[in-house]
Amino acid sequence: MSEKHVDESKEAAEVIASRRDFLKYVCTSGAAALVAAPGPAEAAVEAANPDADVTVAEFFQGHFVLMSDAEKKAAIARLEKRYTAKYGKKTTVSDKEAPDGVLFGYALDISKCIGCRRCVHACVEENNQSRNGTVIQWIQVMKIPRGNVSFSADELDKGYPEQSRFGNYGVQVGGNAYHPAGLSTEGAQSYYQDETVPDKDFFYMPVQCQQCEKPPCVKACPVRATFRDHAGVVLIDYNWCIGCRMCQLACPYHARRFNWGEPNLPAEDMNPKTHYFGNRPRMKGVMEKCTFCVQRTREGRNPACLEACPVGARKFGNLLDPESDVRKVLATKRVFRFREEFGTYPKFFYYIG
Amino acid sequence: MNEGGNSRRSFFQKAAAVIGMFAAAGYTTNKISKSTTSDVGETAKYANDAAMQEQAVMGNRLVLMSESEKSQRLQELLNCHNEEIS
Repeated sequence: MSEKHVDESKEAAEVIASRRDFLKYVCTSGAAALVAAPGPAEAAVEAANPDADVTVAEFFQGHFVLMSDAEKKAAIARLEKRYTAKYGKKTTVSDKEAPDGVLFGYALDISKCIGCRRCVHACVEENNQSRNGTVIQWIQVMKIPRGNVSFSADELDKGYPEQSRFGNYGVQVGGNAYHPAGLSTEGAQSYYQDETVPDKDFFYMPVQCQQCEKPPCVKACPVRATFRDHAGVVLIDYNWCIGCRMCQLACPYHARRFNWGEPNLPAEDMNPKTHYFGNRPRMKGVMEKCTFCVQRTREGRNPACLEACPVGARKFGNLLDPESDVRKVLATKRVFRFREEFGTYPKFFYYIG
Repeated sequence: MNEGGNSRRSFFQKAAAVIGMFAAAGYTTNKISKSTTSDVGETAKYANDAAMQEQAVMGNRLVLMSESEKSQRLQELLNCHNEEIS
């Protein structure tokens, strides 16, 4: 009897011991799984986090333009809460609409630009672009040999339509008809490492989104995530973008940038004054581009690139206002057309003062 | 007790197997995603996007517009805009 009792208690001890081993094994496996798979780990942490519904709701939200006022308010509140927590500073996300009676246009004097790229850096800082490794820049400054200029301004108005006995078909002859007046971009390079600028043998031509009046990127977007607002600026709803990159292919200027990875935006460099369609931090797998600093221009301010330009080569204004800087440029300066063959009607003009 | 112990043991074994499977799947997914989205690959993709813009700009021409072309262009822009907002 006592031997049987001893055997039973031995067996019970083995069971308890093996259960303890098992629990140890489960804990170890669980910990290993969490370490090995940070995605599920984050999901688990988020599930335990009462704020996890923020990201879930963001995932399921609709196109911002089509939301009701209450939905917009909720979406903005979610983003502000998330950005404030993530970057450790009070972040505001504006949804201020474009002013009425405005058509924004931009003009850039290539004879003044010195290629210092301060506009590029101002744009990166203002618009919370990815930096340190995974660099996204919405402005690219091209360096073009000065010898590429091939026009005579004197000849400019000497062309005339050819008269023919077969009929007047308006074929231009004379003047610059056979030598297109302008500046060739042959031999342009964007990665110049000059210690000092400007190089006297070169022009500098910053290229960014041209804010086309008939934007092919908008036509190409299968989900209408990118659209033109009533002030003529092409914008993107980052939450609605599916990352198909059709717009990038459609853009004749290749002015769009895709977030191939998670953007690298240090918390200390983050600009906390953001706009929903503008400079709010983006995520992996979405497209982004110049918005004429929508967070500034909708409040009556100038874009950051313009403010940063040390030589005043950049002009911005309302094309509907004859007294605006950009209309005065169109009226009085030598203005170029660039890649007009696409018929996209860009509202970004290059000129020589 | 033995039967009870066995069934509990078999349950625990199954549970351990499932957890092990999840751990292995997570580890594999992590490895794959790390290998496909390495920093080097990403940097090349970002550089490629910028290079595409350089290609788009190169070999083109900034053509000077005459006065009539300028006013025509402006008028076209304003017409397009009016159509858009109407």
